[in-house]
Amino acid sequence: MIPRSDLLGKPRRRKRIKPLSYLLILPAIILFGMFTYYPFIKTIVLSFALTNKSGNFTKWVGFDNWVRVLSKSSFWQVIVVTLKIAGINLIFTFGIAMIFALLATEKVRWSKLYQTMYALPMAIASSPAAAIFLFIYRQSNGLLNNLLGTTINWTNEMPYAMWSVCAMTIWMHVGVSFIFLLVGFRNVPEDVLESAWVEGAGPLRRIKDIIIPIASPQIFFVLFLNINSSFKAFAQIKLLTGGGPANQTKNLIYFIYENAIINGRFETACVQALFLFGMIFFLTRIQFIMEKKVVHYQ
Amino acid sequence: MMLTLRQKKKVKEWAGFLIKTLIGLLFVSPLIIGLIFSFQSEKTLSTFPLRVFGSTFTMQNYVNVFSKLPLLGFLKNSVIVCLVTIFAQIVISCLAAYGFVFFDFPLKKLLFTLVVSTMMIPGEVVVITNYVTIQNLNMINTYAGLILPSMISGTAIFLMRQYFLTIPRDFKDAATIDGCGDMAFLFRIAVPLSIPTIISLAIYLFVQIYNQFFWPLLVTNTNEMRTIQIGIGMLVTGDIINYGNILAGAIVAIVPSVIVYIFGQDYIVKGMTAGGIKG
Repeated sequence: MIPRSDLLGKPRRRKRIKPLSYLLILPAIILFGMFTYYPFIKTIVLSFALTNKSGNFTKWVGFDNWVRVLSKSSFWQVIVVTLKIAGINLIFTFGIAMIFALLATEKVRWSKLYQTMYALPMAIASSPAAAIFLFIYRQSNGLLNNLLGTTINWTNEMPYAMWSVCAMTIWMHVGVSFIFLLVGFRNVPEDVLESAWVEGAGPLRRIKDIIIPIASPQIFFVLFLNINSSFKAFAQIKLLTGGGPANQTKNLIYFIYENAIINGRFETACVQALFLFGMIFFLTRIQFIMEKKVVHYQ
Repeated sequence: MMLTLRQKKKVKEWAGFLIKTLIGLLFVSPLIIGLIFSFQSEKTLSTFPLRVFGSTFTMQNYVNVFSKLPLLGFLKNSVIVCLVTIFAQIVISCLAAYGFVFFDFPLKKLLFTLVVSTMMIPGEVVVITNYVTIQNLNMINTYAGLILPSMISGTAIFLMRQYFLTIPRDFKDAATIDGCGDMAFLFRIAVPLSIPTIISLAIYLFVQIYNQFFWPLLVTNTNEMRTIQIGIGMLVTGDIINYGNILAGAIVAIVPSVIVYIFGQDYIVKGMTAGGIKG
């Protein structure tokens, strides 16, 4: 007997689940399981346990680690430093990237030249960047002290050490934000700008009332990006100041590294890592809620 | 001198271009400073005031870093780590994206959510427990230890998926009718169509992986296995501080990523903005 669907000329479609589809995603799932989900769960587990010198579970201790970590004033000092570095970094990276993107929005002959220069430091790794910045910052015959005629120890004296770390961080981060903002600003239709110009809107009005609202999705994305990356300053702190002077440039990531790798206190590091996760998660949530209220999608 | 309106406009354009370029030069000046002073002798670098003109130009710092440090070995390690990681990320993300876009299967939604959610967990949060895992697997000071945790990323899968979604599903149906198998479709049609996206991903990953610092710092502690960034880091924090050598080492480490960036910037921009890759 001929199946009815064939008589009607319709191809017969059997909904068949191919085992191949699972095989395709299997490598990704295994790797994510091993290096994202397993360590994340392990971090949670170890935050309630004691560990041996190599970071493996020895026994449960309930909330002891949490209480110990959260009750120390040194921890809260690190949190304040983390927020300070992140705040300075966020404001300046965003501000400079905005200015660069506005300068480069208009495509002219050779505009690629300065566009490349504005973004270039994003390709520079932190250790060579730190090498160059140390040469600029160093106390004896450093470039900055030469230029200013001072003898400041830029990386080991407050408040300079904080700003030295931030300046290098901002320098490395501007490029990524600049690129996203530039793409957003170039999305603004030419004729909209032209008609605004004809109606007498000056450059500042055009930026405020046309360019920024239209590019608001990119602006929010860049804020999100910077919140994320601001908390992750590590190499520059390790190489420039080592967290000093008197722990005043020690941020959470550096503290986690110090506790786990240098002091072998893995359970402490796990509590702090979860705190870091919570902080980033909380701030990105706030940012998403604000985005829903403010952003103008075309 | 009177200028016509056209000439005035031209002058204004040139002035704008000049100012914008000067700002750019100022912004990249640390690189220029590093480059210039890497060719100065240690004596010039320690004489007050610092000067560039009137001093002799020397290659000695470069000779020193290459002879005192296994710089070529560091570079070799970096290149191996980069190439294997990029290759793995591209293959694994293409396979997964293909599965998610062209196939229907139970739990697909859940699995995809699991993949995307990994982007909410910053690598820095799990870096310590990953270090413990690698240590337990006896992979400290091995390429496997350097490479394994970064063989996949949520952003790579997301980016490939975004591209595969633009390939009409009719293509797949038509290919199946013509007897083209599932894997043949992936390698003969889907992948070749997405070459520009793959190049974007590869260049973006190169700059990211080549510049990695935290992870290779944790899992390597011998000169044989260090990557170039860690090698330069050791030079910076070492006992003997010789700024001429440090700057020369830094310039050597910077050159590959700057070259890749300058030639690949259009692809990087495209890749970053298409998939919303995180920086």
